[in-house]
Amino acid sequence: MTATNPTETHAGGRRRLMGEGLGRYIAALGQPKGLIGSGLLVLLVLAAVFAPILFPGGVDQQSRDSFLLPSLLHPFGTDELGRDIFVRCVYALQVSISLVIVAVPIAAVLGTLMGLSGAISGLLGEAFQRVFDIILGFPSLVLGICIVIVIGPGWLALATTIVVFSLPQFGRLARGALLSEQGREYVLAARVLGVSRPKIMIRHILPNALDPIFVQVSLSMIGGIFIEAALSIVGLGIQPPTPSLGTLLNVGIRYVYAQPMYTAGPIIMLLLLALAFNLIADALNAQVLKTRGE
Amino acid sequence: MAANLLEVRNLGTTFRFGQAEVQALHEVSFEARTGRVLGIVGESGSGKSLTARAIMRMLPETASVSNGEVLFESGNLLDLPEARMRSIRGSKIAMVFQDPQAALNPVKTVGWQIEEALVVHGMNKSRARARAIELLGQVGIPEPDKRIDDFPHQFSGGMRQRVVIAIAIANSAKLIIADEPTTALDVTIQAQVLRLLVDLKSRLDIGVILITHDMGVVAEICDDIVVMYGGRVVERGAVAGVFAAPQHPYTRNLLRSMPRIEGVRTARLPTIPGSTPDLSRLPSGCAFHPRCQFAEDICLREVPVLLPMAGSPEREAACHVARQNAGLPPDPDPTPSSEPLAGVRTSGSAPAILEIEDLSVTFPGGGGWLRREKPIVAVDGVSLSLRPGETLGLVGESGCGKTSLSRTIVGLNRPSSGYIRVAGEDVTDFGAEAAAHVRRTVQYVFQDPYASLNPRLSIRQILSEALEQRGLPGRQREAAARALMDMVGLDAAYLDRYPKAFSGGQRQRIGIARALAVEPRVLICDEPVSALDVSIQAQVINILADLRDRLGLGILFIAHDLSVVRHLSDRVAVMYLGRIVEIGPASDVYEHPLHPYTAVLLSSTPKPVPDPSAMQRKLVLGGDMPSPRNPPSGCRFRTRCPIGPLADPSRRICIEKDPLLVGPGEHKSACHFPDEAAGLAVQSKA
Amino acid sequence: MFGFLARRLPSVVFMLLATSVIAFLLPRLAGGDPAQTIAGADATAEQVAAIRVELGLDQPVYAQYGRWLGDLLVGDLGTSLITSRPVGQLIMARLGSTLELAIAATVLMVVLGIGLGILAGSIRKGAGRAGLDGAVSVLLATPPHVTGLILILVLGITFNLLPISGEVSVLRDPLVGISLLIMPALALALPQAAMIARLIQARMYQVRQEEFVDLAIAKGVPPRRIVLSHILRNSMGTAVVATGIRVGELLAGAVVIEAIFARNGLGLMAVDAVSSRDYQVVQIVVLGAVVIAVLVHLLSEILLAALDPRIRLQ
Repeated sequence: MTATNPTETHAGGRRRLMGEGLGRYIAALGQPKGLIGSGLLVLLVLAAVFAPILFPGGVDQQSRDSFLLPSLLHPFGTDELGRDIFVRCVYALQVSISLVIVAVPIAAVLGTLMGLSGAISGLLGEAFQRVFDIILGFPSLVLGICIVIVIGPGWLALATTIVVFSLPQFGRLARGALLSEQGREYVLAARVLGVSRPKIMIRHILPNALDPIFVQVSLSMIGGIFIEAALSIVGLGIQPPTPSLGTLLNVGIRYVYAQPMYTAGPIIMLLLLALAFNLIADALNAQVLKTRGE
Repeated sequence: MAANLLEVRNLGTTFRFGQAEVQALHEVSFEARTGRVLGIVGESGSGKSLTARAIMRMLPETASVSNGEVLFESGNLLDLPEARMRSIRGSKIAMVFQDPQAALNPVKTVGWQIEEALVVHGMNKSRARARAIELLGQVGIPEPDKRIDDFPHQFSGGMRQRVVIAIAIANSAKLIIADEPTTALDVTIQAQVLRLLVDLKSRLDIGVILITHDMGVVAEICDDIVVMYGGRVVERGAVAGVFAAPQHPYTRNLLRSMPRIEGVRTARLPTIPGSTPDLSRLPSGCAFHPRCQFAEDICLREVPVLLPMAGSPEREAACHVARQNAGLPPDPDPTPSSEPLAGVRTSGSAPAILEIEDLSVTFPGGGGWLRREKPIVAVDGVSLSLRPGETLGLVGESGCGKTSLSRTIVGLNRPSSGYIRVAGEDVTDFGAEAAAHVRRTVQYVFQDPYASLNPRLSIRQILSEALEQRGLPGRQREAAARALMDMVGLDAAYLDRYPKAFSGGQRQRIGIARALAVEPRVLICDEPVSALDVSIQAQVINILADLRDRLGLGILFIAHDLSVVRHLSDRVAVMYLGRIVEIGPASDVYEHPLHPYTAVLLSSTPKPVPDPSAMQRKLVLGGDMPSPRNPPSGCRFRTRCPIGPLADPSRRICIEKDPLLVGPGEHKSACHFPDEAAGLAVQSKA
Repeated sequence: MFGFLARRLPSVVFMLLATSVIAFLLPRLAGGDPAQTIAGADATAEQVAAIRVELGLDQPVYAQYGRWLGDLLVGDLGTSLITSRPVGQLIMARLGSTLELAIAATVLMVVLGIGLGILAGSIRKGAGRAGLDGAVSVLLATPPHVTGLILILVLGITFNLLPISGEVSVLRDPLVGISLLIMPALALALPQAAMIARLIQARMYQVRQEEFVDLAIAKGVPPRRIVLSHILRNSMGTAVVATGIRVGELLAGAVVIEAIFARNGLGLMAVDAVSSRDYQVVQIVVLGAVVIAVLVHLLSEILLAALDPRIRLQ
């Protein structure tokens, strides 16, 4: 049974309809998994944003000693120039987080629209599916190389790679939801009533299509963070001297014997980010399944 | 009386959900005997399938037997080690499942699957193959030596169920448990499979336990009956006795609320109020008491025990009232109202509100760039008309095109040729204006009450979406929504609930209310009760009849169940493979069918009247409906027709000439030999 | 079977053509004038124009594409504008290294993926299930380069079990060659194997719910045989398709893995070629990677069709 307020007016009902979806996602973050995941994410984002305040010395501040072992002063030790690896890692988070926070939502909105375009024109929907097929045929790093060639290495090429790479994931989810929803009897009933296409889309199709897309946003963030790392490790991503988790690894691997923390530090940061998004995705997914099961 | 083959005593089963335990079966007891068919009848949630699985010790992982015993060959099956039990499964007790599409492994040949049943019980491979061919022949599969290496998807549904039955009898099991073996099949195929089961029972001298929701099937092939409700046996005995004088109010009401294909039609079906209970939330005392007209205080407090009835030791019932009164008291309302069903509301001269002329609907065949499949002609030159206040029943088996036809009328499919006129206006092109006209005039009630309401919208939102389409301003919608709820017999206080809070019957009423919101003049009902429990069906049927009479609605009522159609319809059209083969006033079509297919449908439909010889007299069709991709030439029914070229090769006309839909007066049929078709029906009734 | 191929073939051809167009356009989209590159910075306009004619760059783009594709089909992969060596030669020089890595990784992926998947699909309760699920989830979420770096840190540095960089052909010195191959191959294989395992596990759960498994139990079939003949047999299609899809991603991982483990394979060559703007080499590597991925995928679908009579007998 749903607990509903019997005195609720019709207008209230409509407001709730719009708000209901987002409310559920926020509720998911209240679950233990979601709470840990979002807590961890907030912590990492705050650290990245406030890095200049937390570490006023800046990212390139050098101490006298290179390759110091981890200590309270230098949690991850120091690098070949005596810079604090932990500080560099925290600054590096800025790149990873800014990339996915810009690129993934763009991909989600574009991809979802492309996936749903089949509702307006069957031909358009088909055409976008073929585009997705081509993108999916390109393994992620091959895609990255192609985009780097065209745009030139850097933040923009990485962001573009993440957008293009994530597009088909959202597009296919949206199209799948569209196709399955379009055949549902309640959608047919709305059509027989003469409800307009945009209304059917907003009221009946979109709410159900959004569930898997919100989960995928979280998962694509992980994908994006790892794409940055991969391309920067081989030197095709962020260019030095800007620190990113990938560029740190690019140098760190050369000094893996002298300073293992140079490699381990960025990896710890990568895994923490991945963990945070994974927990959030899990919590969202559980919430979605719960609604479906009702 | 034959000796007991299997005895179930005080069987109890529990489900575990995390920490919580729910008792699903309570003190279930019955016997199965050799040479007899025991029917276990119940609606959804009655525990009938769970009982079958408990006997086979195939309960789901979350369920376990809490008490009781299952005696078979002087041992308790529940005490056997798993390995011993495995040697009994399939060799001494076998099982037939509901869905023949799902019951066979899709990547193994049917031969392999039959042989497996033999090999795991010790037969060697080459003998098993010979036996498998023999078995396929025994269950009536033509050319068994050729078909044995085919895969399940190469067989039709009915043929697959025959294969499953072949597996069941492979090791000469003494007992076959069939769990709704014909529910997924069309009525003509159901008749084939039931006849096969009865034949095998007498030929092989085995016992059969048939689990079903259909009282008609019980009446026609069972010897004994166990009626289950809320996880308990509420009544059991010989079929004839129980049907003649049921001793539990549930049994009696269930039988009464079934629409009949024969006999007098009454204005309203007697209904059972409420809905079937959920096993996890059973009412106290007698689980049926909230729906029972006799319920007394004791029924709320104490669970009635299944006890023999005074005077007939073979009959047992679990009812306080029946016990106290030495038999169930007579019904307070035994005679249905005498108000005639047809009459005032149909005025034969009123102009038709819906006219369909020579309508065809074609679906593209699919396939890629290199290979195109032939298109499917789902509806082929159909003409129909419907007057206000009239119900036109449209019957036919799955794949006959009835749903394609009805969806085309409301614009969900596009016609490939022909005309549709709604209230005199041609709407075939379904342009903006025509569409608006159709939507104001014609509405649709869907089959699946669980799929036709958006789970995310409250009932208020669902209804006001529809009211908005009628152009009702926001502030008037509240009152209108309440009026709609009232119209379909639901409390307006439920408006803020979501669909999940409602039972199937209630959801279907909401679906009807939504359709009525635009004040249509025609309602198309596509199998509106086929997904509902029998005790709920009557509620929905009555509401439809009431609304039709009150609002003067024209109803196009589509169903595969001929009894339901008969109850509600003034006129009936029978569809086969995209065409109408017979149409006319309901009483004429049902009593004097002029097409052999109608005669066969009528004869195949199980009737809830016990009759030991019914099965033998049935007209049972061979084969399956051909694919609408490649319909036969001439008469489309000729490949299965009992009076066509199959029976009499000289009747070339059936192959060469397409019969026209003609006949005396309003009653028309598309058969070259209508008189013989009429004779066929008489013969099967005798 | 013919019908199945007939339906699949158009989309495969479309995919290959689309990829070839993209690969063809890559150097052109990158900017820069190839004729100028060849001629050198201080060449005269006439010299550059002559080279342009020689390369066919004065012709319309579609004609250039046609010529390029025609050359490819007869085995002429073009010439590097930077090193002036035939691309085919450059690739052959590096192919062995990548081939060893790819074969080792694919074998590991298939064995680990299917093995883990069957294990995870068979154990349905207790600590074993939780442990397996956890392990698969972690592997799944960790991409090859991170896996590789963790392997280096753990197996290479902390326990000092395996050498962390360099390569020796397995054919020349099997022992050293394999010891150098284990970590990169594992790094490539593990994430994909986890993906395959997850799909197989899910499929096995799903098949277990099917009514034909109930029928097999009701026939008296022993559990082992039910798992083998009914559940696994019906899950194999998923395993095949899952593997086919992952091969492309696995190959592409070589780009980073070769850099991390200092292996002189095609991946590293591609990265270097991008840095040195040697686009003629990159375009062939890109095309090759996608073509292989598409063909392996098609192969897996053919295998699936062979396994499933519903497709095979259409």
